Amino acid sequence: MNLFTSLILTAMFILLLPIIMSNTRLYKNNLYPHYVKTTISYAFTISMIPAMMFISSGQEAVISNWHWLSIQTLKLSLSFKMDYFSIIFIPVALFVTWSIMEFSMWYMHSDPYINRFFKYLLMFLITMMILVTANNLFQLFIGWEGVGIMSFLLIGWWYGRTDANTAALQAILYNRIGDVGFIMTMAWFLTNSNAWDFQQIFITQHENLNIPLLGLLLAATGKSAQFGLHPWLPSAMEGPTPVSALLHSSTMVVAGVFLLIRFHPLMEQNKTMQTLTLCLGAITTLFTAICALTQNDIKKIVAFSTSSQLGLMIVTIGINQPYLAFLHICTHAFFKAMLFMCSGSIIHSLNDEQDIRKMGGLYKPMPFTTTSLIIGSLALTGMPFLTGFYSKDLIIETANTSYTNAWALLITLIATSLTAAYSTRIMFFVLLEQPRFNTLNLINENNTYLINSIKRLLIGSIFAGYLISYNIPPTTIPQMTMPHYLKLTALAVTITGFILALELNLAAKNLKFMYPSNLFKFSNLLGYFPIVMHRLPSKMSLTMSQKSASMLLDMIWLENVLPKSISYFQMKMSTTVSNQKGLVKLYFLSFMITLTLSLILLNSHEWLP
Amino acid sequence: MSMVYINIFLAFTMSLMGLLMYRSHLMSSLLCLEGMMLSLFIMMTVAVLNNHFTLASMTPIILLVFAACEAALGLSLLVMVSNTYGTDYVQNLNLLQC
Repeated sequence: MNLFTSLILTAMFILLLPIIMSNTRLYKNNLYPHYVKTTISYAFTISMIPAMMFISSGQEAVISNWHWLSIQTLKLSLSFKMDYFSIIFIPVALFVTWSIMEFSMWYMHSDPYINRFFKYLLMFLITMMILVTANNLFQLFIGWEGVGIMSFLLIGWWYGRTDANTAALQAILYNRIGDVGFIMTMAWFLTNSNAWDFQQIFITQHENLNIPLLGLLLAATGKSAQFGLHPWLPSAMEGPTPVSALLHSSTMVVAGVFLLIRFHPLMEQNKTMQTLTLCLGAITTLFTAICALTQNDIKKIVAFSTSSQLGLMIVTIGINQPYLAFLHICTHAFFKAMLFMCSGSIIHSLNDEQDIRKMGGLYKPMPFTTTSLIIGSLALTGMPFLTGFYSKDLIIETANTSYTNAWALLITLIATSLTAAYSTRIMFFVLLEQPRFNTLNLINENNTYLINSIKRLLIGSIFAGYLISYNIPPTTIPQMTMPHYLKLTALAVTITGFILALELNLAAKNLKFMYPSNLFKFSNLLGYFPIVMHRLPSKMSLTMSQKSASMLLDMIWLENVLPKSISYFQMKMSTTVSNQKGLVKLYFLSFMITLTLSLILLNSHEWLP
Repeated sequence: MSMVYINIFLAFTMSLMGLLMYRSHLMSSLLCLEGMMLSLFIMMTVAVLNNHFTLASMTPIILLVFAACEAALGLSLLVMVSNTYGTDYVQNLNLLQC
């Protein structure tokens, strides 16, 4: 009881220590990665104690430390909110990060800037912690922007490569569009309820919360790669695999979902927002699952899988089950990080080969990676009593029994079967059949760091669902009573997906590759979304501005309307009308003779005698 | 008429002859045009001053203004011809193009 707040702050402070030490001799050491990894494991152990306290007694806490500033009537202070969501998320995130740090000690072993890599990962973790434990919108925004910046730095880790720079820039731009929504929400709360603290926002009764909730939805769309702002997530696979495992599967992309979960007291009452969230999540999960079916890069398939699961989390929020969405966040972190780590192991062993059409038959040379890949895929698809089952099956059952939009529900079910389909595709192309890679690769997965880290997450993928589900306090997850056919829906569509994908793969194995059909092209090129949206708006706005500035103002109004048109018309008229031949001297002479003759004739009566 | 007026009238007539009879350069007719304007100016000034016709004192000034305008117009035409043909020979104006 007494050490609750102290232990939380100790865990946070321990994470800061390697950053503080980065100016000293410790940073230039090549044992720095070990220090960072050990730091995180200590922080994890220490943060488990408050988690146990919370589980046994239900005690929550708000730590308000330091009065930062007061802007007229708004008081901002440094406050940490330790409620159900933060206390359970922190140990999960620290556990996954511990494994990823150990994995990247093997993966980034030959990188000369490995110390800087670890520092960046640690800074990312700290900003994620700030985001998760924030009690006011300002601190959350600090964490929000912090994870965005670290994502940029880490995606562009190999900055010599153009694609990596483009992808990092894409991530920043799409996140920025979401930030506009976040700032709109902050501004609305500032002007309408004069507070950025969650307690005050949730207590006061507002009439119409559409505007701030729309802003939050936009922020979640940007950060969690929902449809419309999704292309940055597959492009972010340009970064190293540990970055993909940490940021773009377990931690950063769930920040958007986490934001919506934090605001669940406000979203409960607003049916419009729930419908919008539901439809957005349903579209996302189906679209990204379709796109994942025909990708050829193993990391992109897993990235689309992440995007699809994020859509599922948003669907869960849309049916008013924030606790279920949070459970799915926690369980998803385990197996998704493990999937990324397995693909990292495969990529490294095959000498940086990421195309699944050039892998195959890896179940003999890499048994451990094969095992963990299969278990991770099974957990992802919701195989009964692995980790994913406890959250994903509950979500599908709740959606089936709730009074909701039937179209969104149907789409979610189709996306669930597609999940099984592309997981089968990965397993078939990577692990089974005959090898299709270069024969001179030294395939070695026998490194302590690799094995230990994946083993830890493997145990988590199998048991964590059970452990978390049976130890959390009661939440708003409804009692599941439904007929047989509804209960078995998720399992049935998943098995359908598996069988269908396996049959198709086996049947088409030795066929010649046909010219791609339109449907294939739609799926492979990500629905043409990045191609169109990245080029068309910018080209149109640049062309329009060029036309209006130089053509319209300069060439038409200033040049052509008065001066050139007048001269042109006059010339045309004069050449049309005149029938003279330019014999000027003749005309002048005739004029003079006429003048003289007329003068003499008219005065002749005076001059002649 | 008095001698002054006849003198000036003679100057005007000489310039007129020069305007209407020239050989090849367009510039010479423009110069004679200026001479005509000058003699008119002198005649008008002398007439106004001799007859103490103060109400018409501004007429010479107005005449000068209009003379300047037409000189500018004549010169611009000369420049146009000179741009097209390189010289201002008047026999170039036969070719029926502007």
